[in-house]
Order: sequence, then C-alpha cells, then structure tokens
Amino acid sequence: MRKQSSRARNTRFRLFRLIVFSGVILTLGFIFLVSTVGSQKFGSLHKLVLESAGPVQEFVASGLRHFDTFREEYLDVLSVREENKRLWKELQESRALLHKSREAMATNTRLKKLLNFREASNLPMITATVIGKDPSMWFRSIIIDRGTNDGVVKGSPVTNGEGIVGQVFTVAPNYSKVLLAIAPSSAIDVLLQKSRVRGILKGTGALTYQLDYVLKNVEVEEGDRVVTAGYGGVFPTGLPVGVVTKVIRKRRGNFHEIEVTPSVDYRTLEYLFVLQKREQVGH
Amino acid sequence: MIIFAFILVGLVLVILQTTIFMIHPLWDFSPDLYYILVAYLAYRLDLFRSLIILFPLSCLLDVFSGTILGMYSVLCYSGYGLLRFASTRLPVSESLYQVPLIGVSYLAVSWVIYVMMSFFEPDTLVEWSWWKTILRTVLLVICAFPLFRIFEAMNKRLQRGILPWNKLRIKSDNRFRH
Repeated sequence: MRKQSSRARNTRFRLFRLIVFSGVILTLGFIFLVSTVGSQKFGSLHKLVLESAGPVQEFVASGLRHFDTFREEYLDVLSVREENKRLWKELQESRALLHKSREAMATNTRLKKLLNFREASNLPMITATVIGKDPSMWFRSIIIDRGTNDGVVKGSPVTNGEGIVGQVFTVAPNYSKVLLAIAPSSAIDVLLQKSRVRGILKGTGALTYQLDYVLKNVEVEEGDRVVTAGYGGVFPTGLPVGVVTKVIRKRRGNFHEIEVTPSVDYRTLEYLFVLQKREQVGH
Repeated sequence: MIIFAFILVGLVLVILQTTIFMIHPLWDFSPDLYYILVAYLAYRLDLFRSLIILFPLSCLLDVFSGTILGMYSVLCYSGYGLLRFASTRLPVSESLYQVPLIGVSYLAVSWVIYVMMSFFEPDTLVEWSWWKTILRTVLLVICAFPLFRIFEAMNKRLQRGILPWNKLRIKSDNRFRH
C-alpha cells in the first residue's frame, strides 16, 4: 500500500518536472523568438548554433562532394574506353590528313618548280612521269610514260626543273626508256659557265659526273657551274648540269680530272620534261 | 596453262622489281626476283616448257633494263642451264643445296656475264662491286624461300586443274572398276 502511494508520488513528480522543463524551454523559445523577430539581430545563440552545426554541415557536404567525384570518376572510367577508341580514331585520321597534306605540299613544290622552269624556258617540251626504274646494278635508266605518239623521238633531251636528267634511249608508241646522265655510257658536251671551256661530261654510275678533256692550262675551281654546250644540236645551250666539286691536278697527262656533282637529285625523280626540237613542233 | 601462268608470274615479278623494290634509280637493295623463277623452272619444270617461259621473261627484262639487248637472255638461260645441270648431277638431297645453289649460281653467272659484257661493250657498265652483288645474293636467297613455296603451291594447283572436271564427271555404278 505504501509502495503504491510512493510510486504515484514519483510519477506525479516526474510529470511536474517535465511540465516545468517544457515551460522553461517554451518560455525561453518564446522570448528568443520574440526578441529575434523584433530586433532582427543575428545574436550569440545564432552564432553558437551555426558554429555547432557548421562542421556537421561541412562534413556532410564534403562527403557528398566526394561521392559526386567518385561517381563521376566511375562514370568516366566506364566511358573512357569508348572515348579512347574515338580519340585513337581521330588521331589516326589526323595523322593521315597530315601525311596527305605534307605529300600535297611536296607535290605542289615540285610542280611549282617544274612550272617555273617551263615558263622560264621558251623551249617546247612534253611533261612525263617516271613509271619504272632499271633494276640492274650495271645500268642507269628509267621508263617514262611518253612515247612517239606524244612527240618523243630517240635522242630527245630529258630534264626537270633542276637540270639535265638524261636522253631518250629507246621509244615505243606510248613509253620510252631514258638513259640517265649518270650512266657510264652517257656522254654530254658541256661548258664551264665561267671560263666557257668545253669538256665531255661522262656518268660514273654513282651520284657524280666526270668531266673529261679539260686542258690543264685552264683555270678550274670548285664551285664552277657546268652547263650544256649545245654542240651537235641534241641539248640546247645553257641548261644546268652540275657544279664542280673536285679538281685533281695530276702531273702526268694533258687534262684535269674533274668531279661534278649533278644539279639534279636522281633519288627523287618523278616528273620530267622531254625537250622537243622547234622543227619537230612545227610539224 | 602452266606456261601462261608462269609467264604472268614472271611479268608480275619484273614489274614489282622495277617499281616497288626500286625506290630510286640508284637503289642497290632490290632482289632480282626473276632469278628465283629461273631457278624454280630449272628445278621443277620440264625443259621445253621452261624455255618457253624464259623467252618472254628475258625479253621483258631486256626492255625494262639496260642498254645491251639480249644480255638478260644470256643471263637467264645460263643461270637456268647451270642450275638444271647441278640439280641433275649433284648426289646430295635436293633440299640441302636447292636454295644456296640459287645464290651461288646467281653470283657466278652475274660475274661471268659482267666480265663478258665489259669485254665486248667497254665503258657502258657501272663498276662491279662485290659487296653490292653479295648483298643482292643474300636478298635473293631470303626471298627464294617464300617464293618457292608460292610457285610450288601454284604449280600443284595448276597440275590438278583449275576446274574440278573429275568431280563433274558422271560416275558409273560399278564400284570395282577403276
């Protein structure tokens, strides 16, 4: 009985405490609310609340940011394969385009040079393309895509924008074989441009010519230009042939031993001109 | 059919050699592919058919290369003769000497022809170079293995016939008769 009465007293006390506590809180809250609404001042309590909630908010926000970053990175990893493929394809295409444009630029330069040569010289000429090269080690000749149908005749001189390349050796209706000036069987009448001394230019099979029959009493220097002499009517006068690069003055014999470097780069022959005679064109 | 096919092969080899394998007119590292065909003919085909195939091949080479007509005919027929003689007379197993012999014969025939040409037509040939010739011989030997396989497969196929006539033939019911 006594136990029951003490339990009821405890319950009532607890309820009383709760009511008092709630009343205090509500009163404080009411005071805070009234003062806040009235003064519109960010007080110490607000600051305290912000300072206490700030770190939590910061933690949650940074967590969210990390999650976002992780999600984005994960999605990137998923899409990177496709992206990689696409980029590789783009790279290949760009490389191919670059190669094409470089090739086009090189062709353009070569053709420009040829065009300049053609415009500068008033000789009638046929443009030809090299289609085959002599596979043997003992000869130096090429095949071009022009023949008698185009006006090419045996013995026609062949040049490019840089100088003399050779001479037509055999002709067919649509194709011809050209004996290069570097072939050992080739011999061209030439002049030393400065001294106007005549000599015979012979091929050596390599990337040099040999200039024969220039007398020892003639002054020849390295760097002297060699041009076609025009004797015999095969080659026109004054076409560039090469530059003297070595003069060997021997004690014995009457002639100089002269090495000439071709003005033509035989390793890059592509487009050529077959020179025609005026009477040939007149026909 | 075999004759026609090998003439075509010869044409393709010469064209490849004068275009793709010759980067510029002074290029030294181009294998003489036609000589592999010459060797194959000497080893595998009968004399009559080989001589017929060699004729347009050497003619084509004379047209595409050099200034001395007939030089390649001499080279091809000499090489063919030498290899044929060696293959019939040598007592060793043919697979042992077959490919090296191509190189040796190429070197020997080239040198002999060069000496002959420089005697009859002096000052028309580029100076002889041993290292360049040996290099070409090595290239020739390297190319000989795959090309021999191709020629062999082609020859077998051609001997069987391109069209399967035997499959089209009507067979009798008698299974014991052949």
